[in-house]
Amino acid sequence: MASEKSDLLQGTLDMLVLKIVALEPAHGYGIAQRIQQISQEVLQVQQGSLYPALHRLEKRGWLKADWRASETGREAKFYTLTRAGRKQLDAEAANWGRLAGAVELIMQTSE
Amino acid sequence: MDPEIAYHVDRLTQDYIAQGLDPREARRRALLEFGGPAQIEEDMRDIHHPRWLADLRQDLIYAARTLRRSRGFLASAVLTLALGIGANTTIFSLVDAVMLRPMAAVRAPGEVVQIARVREDCGSCAVSYPLFQYFHDRLSSITGAFVEMPIRHEITINGVDDEDVNGSAVSGEYYAVLGLVPAAGRLLTPQDDAVPTAVAVISYDYWRRRFGLDPAAIGTPLTYATTTLTIVGVEPQGFEGTERGRTHSFAAPLSMLDALNDGNGKWRSDWSLNSLGMMARLKPGVSLERANAEVTALFEPWLHDRAATIPVPFQRQQVLKQRAVALAGAAGMNGLRLQFIKPLTILMGIVALVLLLACANLSGLMLARVTARQREISVRRALGAGNGRLVRQFLAESLLLALCGAATGFCAAQWFSRVLITMMANGDTLSLKAAPDWRIFAFTGAVSLVVCVLGGLAPGLGAATASVNPALKQVRAGGHRQLGRLLVVAQLAISMMLLVGANLFIRSLVKLYSVDTGMSTGGVFLVDLLSKHHFPATRSREIQSAILARLHRIPGVVAASAANMVPLGGGEWSREVQVEGHAFSPGEDNTALMNAIAPSYFRVTGTPILLGREFEERDESSANHVAIVNESFVRELLAGQPPLGKHVTCNKVTYEIIGVARDTKYQNLRKGVSRELYIEWVQQQSAEPGRWQPMAYTYMARVSGGDPMRLAPLMERAMPEIDAAMRTFHPQTFEDQVDQSTLNERMMATLGGFFGLLALIVACLGIFGILAFQVSRRANEIGVRMAVGATRRDILVLVLREAALLLVPGCLVGALAAVGLSRFAASFLFGVTPTDPEAFAIAALALALSTLAAGYLPARRAARVDPMAALRCD
Repeated sequence: MASEKSDLLQGTLDMLVLKIVALEPAHGYGIAQRIQQISQEVLQVQQGSLYPALHRLEKRGWLKADWRASETGREAKFYTLTRAGRKQLDAEAANWGRLAGAVELIMQTSE
Repeated sequence: MDPEIAYHVDRLTQDYIAQGLDPREARRRALLEFGGPAQIEEDMRDIHHPRWLADLRQDLIYAARTLRRSRGFLASAVLTLALGIGANTTIFSLVDAVMLRPMAAVRAPGEVVQIARVREDCGSCAVSYPLFQYFHDRLSSITGAFVEMPIRHEITINGVDDEDVNGSAVSGEYYAVLGLVPAAGRLLTPQDDAVPTAVAVISYDYWRRRFGLDPAAIGTPLTYATTTLTIVGVEPQGFEGTERGRTHSFAAPLSMLDALNDGNGKWRSDWSLNSLGMMARLKPGVSLERANAEVTALFEPWLHDRAATIPVPFQRQQVLKQRAVALAGAAGMNGLRLQFIKPLTILMGIVALVLLLACANLSGLMLARVTARQREISVRRALGAGNGRLVRQFLAESLLLALCGAATGFCAAQWFSRVLITMMANGDTLSLKAAPDWRIFAFTGAVSLVVCVLGGLAPGLGAATASVNPALKQVRAGGHRQLGRLLVVAQLAISMMLLVGANLFIRSLVKLYSVDTGMSTGGVFLVDLLSKHHFPATRSREIQSAILARLHRIPGVVAASAANMVPLGGGEWSREVQVEGHAFSPGEDNTALMNAIAPSYFRVTGTPILLGREFEERDESSANHVAIVNESFVRELLAGQPPLGKHVTCNKVTYEIIGVARDTKYQNLRKGVSRELYIEWVQQQSAEPGRWQPMAYTYMARVSGGDPMRLAPLMERAMPEIDAAMRTFHPQTFEDQVDQSTLNERMMATLGGFFGLLALIVACLGIFGILAFQVSRRANEIGVRMAVGATRRDILVLVLREAALLLVPGCLVGALAAVGLSRFAASFLFGVTPTDPEAFAIAALALALSTLAAGYLPARRAARVDPMAALRCD
């Protein structure tokens, strides 16, 4: 486990969730695991807070959910990205790119 | 646990077990890492069912339970609100019916405008045919225009008579401009009007009533007076004509007017005969403002050209005092709107005050409950209810009350608006649709929302600012006395305003009725006549004298006569006169009010003849034309000369003055007395042959006792014996006719008085409530006072002083506001100024007496407080 952990930036959770689900349909546990794995344990998600976010995204029509058998054989609720969700992800990713670039520029200014 | 969350927690638990933890510890860690599942689940629910909705539901259920426990409060609050909301909905329904509701079945009614002439002194809207043609040919902002004239007569279809059917004589483009689609057959076209064509279109409603929607109605002959028209089509369902309040049953080409009404065609060429209503359709995209500017600009040169032909300067100036305008026509012609816009606006103001009063009352009542519910509120706060939550709880309560009030008020308004329409109809028929439409629902909804916020906000905020401690410690706190008092002062101020208004209106009405009319209107019967056809001159004379003779034969009739213009009927007939020995200066009014009367007229009206005599039967056959003038005539035109034997010339006939009558009111009670010239009816008929039919006069009889209306059935039976073509019409007493001329004043006095009284009652309830409440709160203080020697009288004074302290600022604020507002009602006042001190004094006195009466009961209860019981209480 990495010794340094970062809290998620306000508002980025939705984008991360969309991105993870864009890779392949996933259930909540899976999404939490993958966020940790891909970020090499840097990003810590309060696991429970994932669910209100998932339901919010579903209500906005960016995700759709259905129950199917999981890798353990037990039924789990899987989330899939919708066409509208794909658009939203692209928009947020572009926005994130601009934001990160701008922050980077400022931070790299020599003192 | 939600299965989705359960899955997640189970997976985490297994991960920990796999790391070697024992199952119980693994589960504990998993739950810790996940975060409280209950909290998460609640957050998820909020996403699907917003929190406020669940809260509102909870608040409403709680409010309903609370309200059900206090039935007295519920009843009085709902009643007050029903009054406020009902009154507002009623008046708004009338505003809607008179001027907002668009004409049914008309295509794009927003594009329809009325083109009208207006004068400062009267709301006249009609135009002349030459003016219509001028506008029709030159206005660039319209695509078409029409004129119409109301006609009314008995009509006969298939041998069956239908009494007094309303119709319209309409010019060619009528249906094209309105964009109507026939329900059957065809509608009238410009070709029907170009040359007089004997065709008619009937309304859908008439088609249903007379023909049971039978298509065979097309082609059926319809006889109007002596003219037979062929029905060619039916108007669309819902269309009732363009004049609000008057439902037409058929329409005929305007060019048939002379055939229908026995006219002489003068209306086609005479620009001063303004008897047609004109409407037009705007070109798409053209605004009413632009059309109005064009109408006004075009009218001016036209009017100047016409006015230049008038030789007398005074009359020229009178004619030049008019403008032409384009008015919104979506709701039809503006006649009814112009008649009622002012009283309805003032009534809207009055009912808005009643609503404010109801809100202040509700607010006060709820505030008192906040204080009484202090403990409950403190417990809720202690359990963590936020300010917003507490305010919302009270808003939910007031919302529930507002909804109950709105439902009750809405039902009451349905009944009340019908009563008012009957009142506005003034003895005639006025077909107005007051059935609720979306505008009325929206209005009532908006009003209820206002009530909810105004009524619930103050107590909600009162609760929100209350601190937790004192109530939980069971200490009696002061409560929200300041806010509560402010609300009572507001109620008193509003009541004061309404009372001042009621006073002004009622005093105006009383003054109006005590005006000296110069007549005695009691015990006089009036009746008009209708005839199927016109009569030759000699037959007219026979009929007229037969009617007077018949009236005379009725036992109890003291005198019988007839007049072309019955005074105080609202009509006016004036003519230019030349007076022997008087030269009119330029700019001086050279007209006199006219009346053509039968012998004994002044005996019937009870007007004294001051000099000479009144007309007698011998004048009828005499070649010497005679006239009677009134005092004003003598004073203004025959100053200092003996009037008898002087000559007056009018319309090329020279009359010898044989009598001077006392001044009488002519058009209505308000207008001052003008000079007047009476001429003899039979002489008038010989001088202007063909124009004066027996139907032109109102027949009148003075009875010595009993109800004058007992003559009505007698005359109804007698008329066909006198002539088979005739029947009586609109019998009434002279006093009824006077009442009709005071419609607006009566309406304002009745409604103003009604609302003023209600306001007084509501305000008294408010005073009573707050004083009774304070007495109960201050019981131990009163006990202490009595224990240290205060007498019962001292306590009585103490409480009543409290009432007086509320009364004085309430009265002052109300009076100041009334001074500012009452001038808007000035045009309904008569004989009193808007700031009439007496009206203000009476209102203040009434308010003071009622306040003291309302304060007396709680004061007496305070004086009866048992000091020992009160002191032991806490």
